[in-house]
Amino acid sequence: MPMLPQFTRRDWLRVSAASLAGVSFSGWLPQIANAAAISNRKESPKACILLWMSGGPSQLDTFDPKSGTDNGGPVKSISTAVPGIQIAESLPGIAKQMKDLAIIRDLNSGEGDHGRGSQLMLTGFKPNPSTAYPSIGSLLSKELGAVDSDLPSYISLSSGRRPGSPGGPGFLGPQYGPLVVSGNSDNASARANLSIENLAPPLGITKPTMSDRFSNLEFLQNEFNKRSASDAAMAHQANAERAARMIESQAKNAFRLDEEDAVLREAYGRNRFGQGCLLARRLIERGVQFVEVELSGVRGNDLLGWDTHSGNFDRVGDLCGVLDPAWSTLMTDLRDRGMLDSTLIVWMGEFGRTPTINGTTGRDHWSSGWSAVLGGAGIKGGQVIGDTGKDGMRLQNEPEEGTKVADLHATICAALGIDHTNENMTKDDRPIGLVDEDGEPIEDLIA
Amino acid sequence: MGKFTFVFYVLVLGSLYALIGQPMAQGSKLGSGGTFDGTHDGAVEVALADLELPALTQWIDKRFRDHHEKERLSDIGVVDDAAFLRRIHLDLSGRIPSVAQLRDFIDDSKPNKRLAEIDRLLESERFGEHMARIWRRVLMPASTTPNLASSAGLERWLEKQLDDNAAFDQVVRELITAGGAEFEKPVVNSDALVSQQDPMASPVNYLASTGGQPAEMASSVSRVFLGVKLECAMCHDHPFTDWTQDDFWGVAAFFSGAQVRGGQFPVQSSEQQSPRVDARTTSVSDTEGQSYSVSLPWSEGDIEIPKDELPRQYFARWMTSNENPHFSATIVNRVWQHLCGYGLTDAVEDLDQASERERAIILDDLAVKFSDSNFDMRALVRAICASEHYQRPSDRVHDNTIVEPRPLKVLTPEQLFDSLEVALALPISRIDKGPRFNGLRDALVARMEEAVGDTPDDFRGGIPQALTLMNGTITADATDLNKSKTLKAVVGAPFLKLDEKISTLFLATIGREPSGIELSKFVDQVDSKASVQEKDEALAGIMWALINSPEFVLVR
Repeated sequence: MPMLPQFTRRDWLRVSAASLAGVSFSGWLPQIANAAAISNRKESPKACILLWMSGGPSQLDTFDPKSGTDNGGPVKSISTAVPGIQIAESLPGIAKQMKDLAIIRDLNSGEGDHGRGSQLMLTGFKPNPSTAYPSIGSLLSKELGAVDSDLPSYISLSSGRRPGSPGGPGFLGPQYGPLVVSGNSDNASARANLSIENLAPPLGITKPTMSDRFSNLEFLQNEFNKRSASDAAMAHQANAERAARMIESQAKNAFRLDEEDAVLREAYGRNRFGQGCLLARRLIERGVQFVEVELSGVRGNDLLGWDTHSGNFDRVGDLCGVLDPAWSTLMTDLRDRGMLDSTLIVWMGEFGRTPTINGTTGRDHWSSGWSAVLGGAGIKGGQVIGDTGKDGMRLQNEPEEGTKVADLHATICAALGIDHTNENMTKDDRPIGLVDEDGEPIEDLIA
Repeated sequence: MGKFTFVFYVLVLGSLYALIGQPMAQGSKLGSGGTFDGTHDGAVEVALADLELPALTQWIDKRFRDHHEKERLSDIGVVDDAAFLRRIHLDLSGRIPSVAQLRDFIDDSKPNKRLAEIDRLLESERFGEHMARIWRRVLMPASTTPNLASSAGLERWLEKQLDDNAAFDQVVRELITAGGAEFEKPVVNSDALVSQQDPMASPVNYLASTGGQPAEMASSVSRVFLGVKLECAMCHDHPFTDWTQDDFWGVAAFFSGAQVRGGQFPVQSSEQQSPRVDARTTSVSDTEGQSYSVSLPWSEGDIEIPKDELPRQYFARWMTSNENPHFSATIVNRVWQHLCGYGLTDAVEDLDQASERERAIILDDLAVKFSDSNFDMRALVRAICASEHYQRPSDRVHDNTIVEPRPLKVLTPEQLFDSLEVALALPISRIDKGPRFNGLRDALVARMEEAVGDTPDDFRGGIPQALTLMNGTITADATDLNKSKTLKAVVGAPFLKLDEKISTLFLATIGREPSGIELSKFVDQVDSKASVQEKDEALAGIMWALINSPEFVLVR
C-alpha cells in the first residue's frame, strides 16, 4: 500500500470528507474572498521568531563583554534596564529591553565548523549521516499546529539555503519545510520589499481573470478526481488550493510593508534585516507560527557576516548598528500590540568567537562558552545564565560543563508550551525526540 | 516578394503542423476504444499482436494472468493509445509526446505499433539520458553531500553505460569499485566546473557523494543495491529484522580501504591527497571504537580475499554473483517501480521484509531471468513496457475484485520542464550530451527539486512549486497571446473550429481529447465572450488551467 501523502491531516480529512460526501470541492473560492481579513483571535497562540546570526556572532562584543581585560578589546560595556546586567555598548536599544530578555552565557556546543555548527544549533542534534534532522522551525511549527491555512506555518526570511542544508524539514518531509523568502538584493528599494516569488500574477492579469482561471482549474481537478481520486491527486489539489488562497488573498497583504507607518519602518531600519523583523511581526499577526529572520551581513547579500576573523570590532559594530534598532523596535512593537507574551524571540548563531584576539584584530571560531538570548513568551527575562569567567575562557577544556544545546532547545520548547519529550518518527520508523536525549529545560528561565 | 510570401507560408504552415498536427476528422478513432466521458475508465481491449511480443513479455503476462486467476481478480485491460503514448514517452524519453506525434500514433493502424514505439524510444538518445537521471536520483538522493561529488558527472557516466546497454552487474561493480586503490581519477569539487570535456563523467562520484566514510558507503550500497537499510544497525541491532551491528560494520569493513584521511574522498589528484589508510584493510572501527572485520550479510564462513583483489572488489563480485539473489531482485524491483509506479514488493528498500509469498508472485523468477540475460537492461525495460501490466489503466475503481489499477506517477523536475518545452513549443534546449545551458530549465528544476517525493507516486509539491507554475515566467509566456507559440498556432489556425481548438490544447498539454463534459463547458465559456479578443483570452485561460491541472504533473 502506498503511504498517505504528507500533506496535513486536516487537508486530508477535508478533502476525503468532501469526496466521500460526493460533493465537489467548490467550497474554496468563497473562502478566498474573505481571506484578506485578519482573524480576531481572543487568545493568542504561541509563535516564535528566530533571529539567526549567520557566521557566528562574537559574544564578547555583544552579550558577554569583558571590557577592561586583554580579551575584551576596545569595546565598553553599558548598564541595562536590569541592575547588574551589562552588555556591549553597541546594543543600547537592547539594553533597555533587558527586563524581557534572558542571556545564556555558557553555551557549550563543541562544534566549531560553520556547516556542522549551523546544523547543531538549528536542529538541536549533532550532524549524523543516517538521519536528516528537521530544523526547529519545522519541528516547532508542526508541534504548534497550523492556525490559519492562508499562510504557511514556517517562513524563513533568509539568504536562501540549499536543500538538505540546515533550516529544512529533514525527515518530516517538504510540507514542514519553510516558505523561503530569499530575495537577497542589496537594491535600496528592493530590500525594503521582501516578497514571495511569483505571489503576484503576471502583469496584465486581472483579479477576475485569475478567478476564472482558478475556477477552470477547480473544474478540471474535479473531473480528474472522478476518475483518479488518488493520494497524489488529492495532495496536488490541497496544495493548489493553498497556493491559490495565497494568491487571491495576496498572503493577507502580509508582505505589503508599505501599509506600515513610515516612522515605524524607519525605527526598524531601512535594511533587509530591519524590514524582515517588521515582516516577521506582520506574519505572526496573521497566524504564522515560526519566522526566521537572518542577519547575514550589513549589506543584504553578504553571507556569514558575523564570521569576523579580521577587523572584528568594526564589523561587529556595524552589524550591531543593524541589529540593535531592528530587534529593540521589534520588542516594543510586539509589546505594544499585546503579542510579546505569546511570541518567543530566540537570538543565536552557529557558535561564538574566541575570547583571544588574533593577529588581524579578529576573533576565530569558539564553541566552549558563548551566548544566546531568549525573550518574550514564557521566558522570565532580566536574567543571566552561566558565567564564562573573567577572560571568557572558563569552559575551555570543560566539555561537560555549561549549558548544552539540547537544554537550550528544551527551554525553547517549554517556553512555547511544548513538551520537549515529544517524538517524531523517521521514514524508517525510528522515534526521534524534539530535543536530543538528555536535554532538559533551564527551569530558572521558564515563567 | 512572391517568393518571400511563399516561403513564409511554407514556414508558418510547416511549424503549425509540427505544433498541432493535422486536426482530426470528426468521430475519429481516438474515442472509439474508450470514450472519455468522465466516468468510464478509458480502457480498451487492444489485441497486442502476440506474435510480435518479446518472450519475456509473454512470460510476464502469463505470470500475472495466472496470479489474477488464482486470486480471482478480473482483468481491467489496457489503456487507450493516447494514454499509452504519453506514459511511454515520459517513462522512456522523459517528456510528453507532441500533438503531431499523438495524432500520428492514434491514426497508425499497424497492430504492433505499441511495441514499435517502445523500440523507437529505446533507440533514441533521450533514453540513456533520462534513465541515467532516474538512476542518479536513486544513487544520490537529495540528502547526500553535494560538494563531494558531481551529480552531473555521475549522470553522464551512467548515460554512456545505458547508451551502450552495458551489462548492469558490470555497471554496478564499477560504481562500487571506482577509483581502485589509487583514486587517480581527477574529480573537481563543484558542478559549476563541469566542462564539456567530461573530466568528471566518472562512477567515482557515487561513493564520493555518500560522504566517503566506510559507514556511509556501506549504508548506501546496501540500500541501493540490496534493498536493505542496514544502517539501522549502525548504532544498535535492528529492531524489526535480524540485522545486527556485526552485519552492518562487517559490510562497512570492505570499504575501510576506500577512506581517505580527513574525509575528503576523492581528492583532486593523487599528489594532493593526504596519506591513505591501507587500501587492503579489512577491518573498521565503529563510533565507539570497537573493531569489526569484513563479513557478508546472509552468509557465514571465512572470507578469503585473493591477493590481487581489493576488499571492495571482493564485495562487489560477491554482491552481483548468483550466490546473492537479492541484487538482481533489487535491480528488477527498482526498474519495475520506475516504470509501473510501484515495485513488486511493498517497499523497494525493505526487500528483506518482503514475504516469500510476495516475492514468489513474479519478482524472484524475473530476477533470475534478468541475471540469466547477462543483466540486459534494455531487454528488461522493453519486456516490461510491452506487458499488459505496464499498460493497464490508472483510473481508480473502488472494487477489490479487479486487478489493482496503475498508480499515478509524479513528473520529475526534468520531466516537467521537458514536457513544458514540448507543450509550449519552447526552443528545445541543447541536447548535445553536454549539460543544457538554459537558465529557465535550471531555475524550474531547482525549484521543483526542493519537493521531490520518495517514490514515483509520492506528490510533495509545496506552495513555492505551485506558485511557480501558476504565476511564473514560463506559464506567463505560455498563456500570453502574443508570446505563446502553441496558443498562437491554435488561436490563429484558420482550419480549426472552436471545439477542435480546445481539443488541441488538451492534446498539447495533458495528451488526450477532452471529455464531453469538459468540451461543452469550455466551448460555452468561449462562446459566451463577446469580442474576439475576449474569446482568445478565454482560450488562454483554458491553457493556464491545463498546465496547472493535476493531469499535467501526474502520469495516468
